[in-house]
Parts: sequence; C-alpha cells; structure tokens
Amino acid sequence: MKKLIDAIKNLALGLLTTGKHLGRRAITIQYPTEKWQMPERSRGIVTLLSDKETGKLNCTTCLLCERSCPTAAIKIVYDKDEKGKRILKDFIVDHGLCCFCGLCQEACNFAAIKLAPKYEFSTFEKEDLVWHIAKLQEIGRDVPYEKIERKKPEARPAVAKPAPKPTIAANPAETPTGKAHVIESGKADAIPVSEKKPKIVDKVEPEGEK
Amino acid sequence: MTTTKALHTEEFLVNMGPHHPSTHGVCRFLLTMDGEVVVKAVPYIGYLHRALEKICENRTYPQCLPILDRFEYCTSMSCEYAFCLATEKLAGIQAPERAEYLRVIMLELNRIASHLIWFGTTSLDLGAITPFLYGFREREDILDLFEMTCGQRLTYNYIRIGGVSRDVPPEFIPKAKEFLDKFPAKIEDYVKLLNENPIWMIRNQNVGILPREMALSYGVSGPVLRASGIKFDIRKDDPYSIYDRFDFNIPTGKVGDCYDRYLLRIEEMRQSSRIVRQALEQLPSGEIKTKVSANFKPPKGEVYSRIENSRGEMGIYIQSPGDSKKPLRVKMRGGSYNHLQVMPEIVKGGKIADLVAVMASMDIIMPEVDR
Amino acid sequence: MEIAGIFKYLYEMLAKSGLPQLAVDLIALVASALIVFTFLAVTALFLVWWERKVSAHIQQRFGPMRTGWHGWLQTIVDMIKLIQKEDITPATADRPVFFWAPIIALTAAFTAYVVMPFGKGLIVSDLNIGILFIIAITTFTIISLLMAGWGSNNKYALLGGMRSAAQVVSYEVPMVVAVLSVVLFAGSMSMMDIVNSQAKIYQWYIFRLPFGPIAFMIYLIAGTAESNRTPFDLPEAEQELVAGFNVEYSGMKFAMFFFAEFVNLFTISAIAATLFLGGWQGPFLPSWMWFMIKTLFIVFVLMWFRWTYPRLRVDQLMEFSWKFLLPISFANLIIAGFMKYSRWFNW
Repeated sequence: MKKLIDAIKNLALGLLTTGKHLGRRAITIQYPTEKWQMPERSRGIVTLLSDKETGKLNCTTCLLCERSCPTAAIKIVYDKDEKGKRILKDFIVDHGLCCFCGLCQEACNFAAIKLAPKYEFSTFEKEDLVWHIAKLQEIGRDVPYEKIERKKPEARPAVAKPAPKPTIAANPAETPTGKAHVIESGKADAIPVSEKKPKIVDKVEPEGEK
Repeated sequence: MTTTKALHTEEFLVNMGPHHPSTHGVCRFLLTMDGEVVVKAVPYIGYLHRALEKICENRTYPQCLPILDRFEYCTSMSCEYAFCLATEKLAGIQAPERAEYLRVIMLELNRIASHLIWFGTTSLDLGAITPFLYGFREREDILDLFEMTCGQRLTYNYIRIGGVSRDVPPEFIPKAKEFLDKFPAKIEDYVKLLNENPIWMIRNQNVGILPREMALSYGVSGPVLRASGIKFDIRKDDPYSIYDRFDFNIPTGKVGDCYDRYLLRIEEMRQSSRIVRQALEQLPSGEIKTKVSANFKPPKGEVYSRIENSRGEMGIYIQSPGDSKKPLRVKMRGGSYNHLQVMPEIVKGGKIADLVAVMASMDIIMPEVDR
Repeated sequence: MEIAGIFKYLYEMLAKSGLPQLAVDLIALVASALIVFTFLAVTALFLVWWERKVSAHIQQRFGPMRTGWHGWLQTIVDMIKLIQKEDITPATADRPVFFWAPIIALTAAFTAYVVMPFGKGLIVSDLNIGILFIIAITTFTIISLLMAGWGSNNKYALLGGMRSAAQVVSYEVPMVVAVLSVVLFAGSMSMMDIVNSQAKIYQWYIFRLPFGPIAFMIYLIAGTAESNRTPFDLPEAEQELVAGFNVEYSGMKFAMFFFAEFVNLFTISAIAATLFLGGWQGPFLPSWMWFMIKTLFIVFVLMWFRWTYPRLRVDQLMEFSWKFLLPISFANLIIAGFMKYSRWFNW
C-alpha cells in the first residue's frame, strides 16, 4: 500500500516538474528573423584580412597556413619574382574540405587569415564552396582583427627544450609502456621494441602507463 | 481432446538495422528472437568507420588534433587531451599550471555535457521525450562557454601539445560560476522527473545486469564498471594531470543494472560540477602554453596513456619513429567498444525493449566503436 | 437563443415544408451527421495543433509559429502535404483488407459521437443504451488494427498490430468496469440521464468519494491505453523495433489513422467529462462551451501525461492492466454498489 502511495506521489511530482515549465518563456529563437550574436572567437568561414588604411591584403605568401591545414583545404598559387620572393596570385579555400579547426589562423604571423564568425554560406552546388582570393578578401573586409606589428625578432627566452633524440645503442631498459605492448619487429619498417626510455626533462613521471 | 505435443514455435531473425532511432549512431544488430524474447544478438559495426587512425599517420602532431576531435565527438576535449597527454609524455613536455587548470575545467565541463546527452537520449529511448530537451537546454549553456573560449561548439581543437590554445576570455569565469550555481537545481528537476518515477524504475531496475566478473573479463570501464560494484576511476587510481588536487567522490553501484548506471551518471554530473568549482577557485595566473617548436618531432618511442572519459577508459597509443613530424601509428582505444562487446551477453533472455534500455544506459556511441 | 432551439426550429420548418416524413427524417439525419463530422474534423485539426503547442511549451520551445498566428494553420498545411503524397500499397499486401482498415478506424471513431451530449439538448440521438453503445463502437478500432497489421503483409506490422489489439482489449475491461460504477449510480445508461444526475457540482461523480476519484483515475489510465498514447504507446513507438501497425501506410491512409487517433483522444476525454465532470452542466456560460472546456481540460491532462512519462514495456503493460487495474476496478464497483444501496452518500 505504501508503495502505491509513493508511486502516485512520484507520478504527481513528475507532472508538476513538467507543468511548471508551461509558464516559462521559451528559450529558443525564431531563426531567420532573430539570430544569436556569435562570440567574436567563433570559428566560421575562412576570410583574408586586408589592411584598414591601404586595403591591401596582409598576406605575405609565407605558406604557413597551407602547410598547417589538416585537410588540405587551402591552396596558394604564387609566382616568384626575380629576387626569389613569392608573389601571391591566387588563394583558394575549399570550404567543403575545411574542418574549421582554426590551425591556419594560428599559424599566420601576419594577421592575414582569420575565421570570421559567419556561418551562413550554404550553396546549392559543391563547386560553389571553392572560394578564390577576391571573394575571400571581400568577406574579410568587415572582420575586426588586431594588427600584428612586425618588429625585429628579439632574443627569445630560454624554453624547456624537448628531449634530445635518444640513440639506439643504449641499453634496452623497460619502456614506459611496459610489458603489455609487443610490436612485431619482423616487418621492414617496424620499430624495435627495446628502445631506451625517452628522456624526460622535467618532473613529469611516466605514471599511468601500465 | 488435449494434445501432448508442445506447440511448434520457431525462432526468427530480426534486423535492428543501421538506421534506427535508438542505436546511438549506426549499429546493426541481428537478433534471434523467440517471440518477444531475444535469444541471441549479434552486433555488426563499421558503418561509421572513418579511418581516423590511418589519417593520423599522415598528419603532423598538431594537425592530428582536429582528427582526434572527431574520434568521440561528444567528448572532444577528452580525446584531444588524451592525445596531448601521450605526446607530452613521449616528448617530455610539461604544460604550465594555468593550462592544466584550464584543461581540467574543460574536461569536466565536457563530461557534464556528455552526460547530458546520455541523459537525453536514454529518456528518449524509453519514451520520455521531455528530459531530452531539458538536458540539451543545460548543454547549451556549457556549449556557450566553450564557444566563447575556443570558437566551436562540438569539435573544439582547443587543447594543444604543451597547453591550451587560447586563454579564457574575461567573461568566462562569471558565466561558468553562474552555470554552476543553477545547475544543481536543474539536476534536481531531472531527479524529480525520473528517479522515483515508478515507470522509470520498472523499466530500468533488474534490467541488463552486468555481473562483476563479466565486467572485468570484458574490460569494461568507466561508469559501467563502477555500476557493477568495482570502484575504479582512473582519475583517482592512476591520476593524470592535476586531479589529485581536487576533492571529489567516486560513486559506485551495487547491482549493475540500468538503474544503477543511471543513478551513477547523475551523481557523476554533480561531482564534476564540484571539480569545476574547485578548479575555478584555484585557477592561477600564468602562461597557457609551453612553447613547442613548429617542427615538433618527438623522440623515438611508444607511449600509451589513458584518461577517464565519460564513457570509460580512453587510451591513445602513439608510436613515434623519432625524426619525423608525423606519428607512425596512433591507436585510439575507446570504452564503447568493450561495452558493445558485452551487450549481447547481458541482453540474452530479455526483450527488445530491454535491449534498447541497456544500449541507452551503457552510453555506447558508435564513433568510439568504429573510429 | 440556444443552439438546441435553433436545430429544433429548423427541423420543424423542414417538417412543415410538405415533404414525406421519411425524407424529412433522412435529411435531418444526414444534416446532423455532416455537422458532427465537420465539428470533429475541425476539432481534430485543432487538437493536433494544440498537442504540438503544449508539448513545445513544456519543452521550453515555441512549436509551430510561421503558418498563421502561432502556427494555427499548421495542421491544414500538413494535411495538404499528406494529400499530395503518393499512396503506396505494397505489392504483396492484401488489398481489400489494406484498403478498408483506415476507413473502419475512422468510421468507428466518428460513430461514437451519435450519443455524445454536446450541450443541453444537443445530442444526435439519445439512445437509452448510450454509454454501452459507445463502448461497443470503440471496440471496432481493434478490428481495424488487426486488419492494418494483417493487410500490410509485413511481419513487423503484424506483430505491432497484434500487440496494439491485445493492449486495447486488455484495457477495455477495467475501463468498462469503471464506467459501470458510474452507471450503477446514475441508474441509467443514457448519456443525458447521466449528465442530468450531476446537476450540482458536489454531485459530480468525481467528487463522490470514495468510488468517484478511483473510477476517474482508472478510466483515465485505461483511456490513455485505448488511444495508444504514452505511457502506453509501445505499439507505435519509433524507438522500438516493431514500428507499429501503420508502418506501411502513407499519404491519405496514414492521415486517416492519425486523424482517427486524435478523434479517439477527444472521445475519451469527452466521455470522461460527461461521466465524471458533469458534462455540459455549469453556470453562466452556454452549455456547449462548458462541454468544450471540460473536454479540452481532460485532453490537456492526457497530453501532459504523454510528455512527462516514459513508456511501459509490453508485458508490464499487460501485467498492469490485468493484475492491478482490474482488481481495483472490481473493488471499486463493489464499493459503489454498497454506497448506492445503503443510501450512504447518495444525495
């Protein structure tokens, strides 16, 4: 009998919990007519930034962004002038391949490429997602950014260097991975298991690797 | 006239196909049914295989991070962190203090977000549609926090080798505290709605019991393991990062049925918010990233590191050839693979509705199984 | 002037116009059928919209907003869409059975309104077996479920149909016994008499403790199961493997099943309002308005149930009905009998 009373009480409590939401205002918005304000770090489409006064692109064709892209969505077409310096001809970003990770904007030292907080760029054809330099510059015109002043490279502070490469000849101490991992070393490009433990510079103990 | 011969029955095969609202991704089950009872269940996987491990072999270490994001996209931060932990161990890099605290905050917020997805989808599978939307309402607040920090809501690319990519903006901490202040009341809402609800209890209690020995022999981990009575949490038993500085409890279940797993995860959400609160209070100032060279080449060796993900043990194994910017082999280990393996054992003898309940309560998601 | 009066006036005009009596009656009957049909069509459309809005606001979102003011045209738009859809009949389906199942479902749903008291004097035909007629007609839906399951030639549909039928049959019994306790008190099965015996608010059957509230709860629970709503909607849940008896239906036939379900919902609520909440009785407002208010309130309560509770498994469902509801409803009937014949609480 007590179970019955409990059951009815809990069922009623459940009803009250949903019922009290009936009086509350909905938390969703009506999308095309109302839109959320995106935070300024929001990673949307790739844009090319231009200098505010001169209107020229900040890009110096250093190719760092192209190299850092994990999906090869950026393709830079350039010429080399008589001194060997690169001149930018075309900057192609395929937004169908882009995964919006932001590695390109982090790699850039010149504030030339930025992922703007814009997300409405759907097209009907896949080919329309490949954007060239003119469009990228156009949509980047109203994207705010902080200009990077190119100063002379100053002496960098000493940082903890990563471990020097261990040599193969050292005694085969137990690897931090322990006994559970055996690699077949019969294949041509396999790494032999008995390697020296990678030298740890700092106080990080190899705990948790059993 | 009575017949002494039993009524002739046949078992029939039913395909719970890859397209199904409650297979949490694309998973196919071939069920052998005797009437309403499941006699055998064979899972077929691979529908969501994206060859992530192979892709990582052709990417430099920093470029692997967006790939790792997509390994288990409900808890992207954990995946990135596991990879960074492995790489940092391999190369002997130590992230600064502030970075470690920020990482813990992000990881635990991501755990709460992932448990909210679990909560929503579990109730959805069992018919209560409203808690799904309540869970996602809370998740929106967490995703807003993530978006203001790193710019994305699902695949963050935030945790880097050596630290985190950007510092949190000034409005992050007040907003996070505001979220933490109102979150316990929301959990109470969910508890009131479902915990003692007789229908919920009757659907979940004594359903899908996972015995202790079976749990250990199948290698399950995480909340599923703890619900079966084994108190093992990598954050306490094999600590990584700075988890030993925080005070939190590890809930453990008794019976190992779906109801235990449900209660456990609700309690884990509470404990995670405790950790975030402590981390926010203790957050020191300082750098957020150790400088790692642009041509990062970790030394030769192999490393396996594991973390406590919301779905179990997440491990990353990296084999580095030494003088290359790209890893030789990256193996991703997710908890859902083992959980999916143990599922056919524990749904035998139950009904299809129980299979749905068990799959939901074990929080299996297919990207982790298929990679 | 009351609506009942208007109808009476029209009938008299028709009778005086010189047509033979048979023609007059026939015209009157067809006219009332059409009026009831139109009313139910509009109500079903309204209920679909209402369900979407209630569920949306429970979930803190908006629901339909674009088609008309707060989306009130949404159902009509959906109907137009469904009409345009291709009407697919599986090649191996049993054609006559497949074709007639939704029609029978709809017919059964509508026929119950022959004896529904919409207001004072607003009843198509006050049969003296009113409530028994309704119960008998609602069992026709079971036939349509089985026909849909069989006619689809799909093992999942068949299983779903049989489960549905089993569920409806199991919950008919406690429902009928609960209704029986009310009939016992009212002393008559005629709907008008039942309403008239609840003239004052303290005479409403829901307030006649102890049998009233229990009978009301049993009726409401059994009614939810009858109309296949959560927490008893296992036969039509998407999350279950066996997707239900209407899995092979598309287009207009599916719309008819859908329609029949909402009309059933309205029927259950209307009967609950009539039997337990005093029907169309009430001060100040016209009687049909009271009927609508009370019915829509019960509809709202059923929708509230749907969006709060998870669903029961099929064997738990059956167990609940046979092992729990039925004994309680019998006990309730006995208590009602005692109360009536001991003239205790019998005012």
